[in-house]
This record gives sequence, C-alpha cells and structure tokens, in this order.
Amino acid sequence: MPPPGPRAVTLAPPSAPPSAPRGAQPHAGARRGRVPGLVPGLVSLGALLALWAVAAALTGNPRRLPGPWAVGHELFAIAASGELWFHAGMTLFRVALAFVAAMILGGALGLAMGRSPRLDRWLDPTLVILLNIPALVIIVLAYIWIGLNETAAILAVALNKIPVVAVILREGTRALRPDLDDMARVFAMSGPARLRHVVLPQLAPHLAAAARTGVALIWKIVLVVEFLGRSNGVGFKIHLLFSSFDVAGVLAWSLAFVAVMLAIDAGLLRPWEARANRWRQDAP
Amino acid sequence: MRLELTSRSFAGRPVLGALTLEVRRGQRVAILGPSGIGKSTLLRIVAGLDRDFQGRRAVPERLAAVFQEPTLLPWRRALANVTIPTGADRAAALALMDQVGLAGKDRHFPRQLSLGQQRRLSLARAFAARPDLLLMDEPFASLDADTAGRMLDLTAALLDASGAGLILVTHDPAEAARLGAQPLTLSGTPARLA
Ligand SMILES: Nc1ncnc2c1ncn2[C@@H]1O[C@H](COP(=O)(O)OP(=O)(O)OP(=O)(O)O)[C@@H](O)[C@H]1O
Ligand SMILES: [Mg+2]
Repeated sequence: MPPPGPRAVTLAPPSAPPSAPRGAQPHAGARRGRVPGLVPGLVSLGALLALWAVAAALTGNPRRLPGPWAVGHELFAIAASGELWFHAGMTLFRVALAFVAAMILGGALGLAMGRSPRLDRWLDPTLVILLNIPALVIIVLAYIWIGLNETAAILAVALNKIPVVAVILREGTRALRPDLDDMARVFAMSGPARLRHVVLPQLAPHLAAAARTGVALIWKIVLVVEFLGRSNGVGFKIHLLFSSFDVAGVLAWSLAFVAVMLAIDAGLLRPWEARANRWRQDAP
Repeated sequence: MRLELTSRSFAGRPVLGALTLEVRRGQRVAILGPSGIGKSTLLRIVAGLDRDFQGRRAVPERLAAVFQEPTLLPWRRALANVTIPTGADRAAALALMDQVGLAGKDRHFPRQLSLGQQRRLSLARAFAARPDLLLMDEPFASLDADTAGRMLDLTAALLDASGAGLILVTHDPAEAARLGAQPLTLSGTPARLA
C-alpha cells in the first residue's frame, strides 16, 4: 500500500475547504454563542499567567525569570516612551510588505501551476527545494548578495513565504469547478471578470489559510532578519536586550508584538473571511 | 452556425459519428435521443467547450447556454448571477427575473433558492446575454408541468423577439413541438443524426 503523500493530505474537495468550519461558526453560534465563546480563552490565558507568576516566585531570580508584573511594568515603560510604537511600526511595515509580496507572487505562481500541469512539472522541483531551504540560509545569502539593506531584508522574508503560498494555492486551483469554467467560457466573460467572480471566490478559503499561516510565519522571520542586519524593529531591540541578558525586556517586546499580530488576525483576517463566506449562510 | 463533425471519441471509444448540424438565425432545432447517447457531448462541441473532436465548426459571436445543471455562482446574489456573466444592465436583469417568476428574489444567494428556481435563474441569465444562438440542455427537467409550460412559452416568446437560433437537447418530443423546433434524433453507436 502506497503511503499517503503530503499532497493527499492537503487536497480538499471544493465542498470542504480548509476554513469552512470557521465560516460556518458565526451563524451556528448566532449571537448567544459570542460571549460564552470568549470565556474558555480568557480562563486559559489567566491560568497561564498564574502558572507564570508561580514559576517566577519559585525561581526567585527576577533576572532569569521575571514575573508578569515586572514584564507588564517594562511594557508600560516602552509604550509610554514611544519606543514601542516606532520599533513595532518598523517591524509591522516589513511584515506588511513581505506579506503582500509573498501573497501576490506566491498566489500567481500557485494559480499558474495549478492550471498548467506542464508548468507544474517544470517548476515543482524548484518549489520543493525552496520549501526546504532553512529561512536562516536565505536571509544570510540575501544580506551577502544584496547588501545589508531594506530590499534584502524584505526579499529574504518574502522568498521564505512564496513557496508556502504557492503550494496552498496550487491545491486550491486544482480543485476549481470545471462547470463554472465552462459557464464563463460560453458567456465569454473577460479574464479579469473571471478571476474576480469565478476563480478568486473559490480560492478564498485557500487564500485565508495561506494568509493566516503566512502572517504567523512572516513575523517570526522578520524578527530574525532584524536581529541579524537591521538597526530598528522589534528584532533589533531583542538583539540589544539579548546582549545585556534582559529577560523582562525580551518578554515585554515579544508579548507586545504578539498582541499586535493577534489584533490583525481578529480585526482584519477574520472579518474578511466572514464576509467571503457569507454566501454559505442560510438567511437571505 | 454550422458543424461538420467527423467523429468524437472518449478514450478510443467513438461516441459521435459523422454528422452535419446547421442552424440559421431564427431556426430552432431539437436534439432527441436516449440517455448516454451523446446529446450533451454534441452540445458541448457546438458551445466550443469541447475542442477535442474531428471536424469543422463555425458559430456566431454571441452564444448563451442553459446547462443541464443550473451552474450558478454560489457566492454571488441572484441578480449578480444574471448581470455579471452577461454584462446585462440591472433593469434588464430584473425584468427577466420577473418574467421567469423570480421577482423579489434578487438578493438571494443560489443556495437559498430551490432547484427549480435556480434553473429559472439560469434561464434568465441565458436570455440576458441576448444571444444569436441559444443552447439548452434539458432546461425544463425537474420543473412541474405548469412551470415548465410557462418557461417553454417564455422561451418561445423571447426567441421570437430576438430572432435567435436554438439548439435544444431534450428527451421529450412534446417540448420540441411546443417550441416549434425541428426534431432530430441521435441514435446508433457511434451516434448519428436522423
Ligand atoms: N469526459 C468524458 N469522458 C469519458 N466519457 C464521456 C465523457 N463525457 C461523456 N462521456 C460518454 O459519452 C457518452 C455520451 O454522454 P453524454 O453526456 O453526451 O450523454 P447524453 O446524451 O447527454 O445523456 P443524458 O440524456 O443522460 O444527459 C456517454 O456514454 C458517456 O459515458
Ligand atoms: Mg446530457
């Protein structure tokens, strides 16, 4: 019996796209489900904080493991001094540029490879190689070849993400409905109209999956890029704090940026997904 | 529209044999035959969706089709399903939806419509394209006799008004007769027209 390849795992039938359950949630839970839905999350977050406080107290070494209170204090200090906003802003700017570049280039590549089996055969080996090069190698090479500048930093991040987006979108493209393609052809719909009204709505769950994993991956890589070769951004600050073994500072900066990324997920990605999935609901 | 077909095979198995089909503007033709004989295959060749055949094909610019399934865009509302593929304006689309009995349903998504309503929406979409040649694949299946009758009359009226040609695939000779379409029967293996 042949072992199921990675492809078989990611292949989703059009009726069961990766994010369908999430899209179905808002109407399944209706408005009553919203508030109780937050409770388990908050409780587990509280438990985590308590565990941290207890561990900090037991360690008894605030330099090695500062308690939540000390980190909170540090967080407040960097926010009040304005330092947080500048460096988080720089990091966010790099995340946004690399994200947009990776989604557009990776999306186009995945779409083309999903549509054309010939192109897929030509480009697939390159894609597999790119998927398996460690992020660190791409970053170091980009800095050496292009120089210690912004272009190299953003390009290195995008290059790490492009193959991931391409693979997700290739699977989505392979599952496009041929009957709708036929319809668009008979009615002679223009290319842009087809992309916008026929193709992209079918790829929405895959785009959402690529975006969500993309944002998570990209900000982690941006931090490494900044750590290695930038003079601002959250990664640069962590580099400085690392040299002075300032654990409270490292934790404060990372927690602040995790909060920013969570806010982007909740404020941008989820509402967009809910909108893209509206047609699945029953109410008119 | 003129199609001179030599043959169409699937995996070496010939389904359609040599046949010639010609439909001029205003002319109506019905293609009859048992299930699996190749009616949809023939229609797909005429529509330009199947290019893997031996023969020659010449068709007018503006085609429209009513497929065997409604084939709507599930993520677009009913009205947008008429306007987007056809480029028809809002008023014309609303008027057609009214004529097929879908007044007031313009903000529904396809899955909020019954199958019969979806079929009628697909009919409205085809007319909204103002085609020179209309291709229909069992468009009235699964409609009750009353509704099917009204849709047939509507189709006839709209064809009269636009002067478009029609190729109708059906298994019901009465449908062909009611539209005044010349019945042609597919039969044999590989199938030929008679
Ligand atoms: N893509 C395909 N690959 C292989 N065989 C096919 C394909 N499409 C159709 N066939 C075969 O061609 C024959 C004709 O199919 P077609 O769909 O044209 O029948 P039909 O006359 O429209 O039948 P029905 O009235 O049931 O819709 C069938 O035997 C079918 O199995
Ligand atoms: Mg058929």
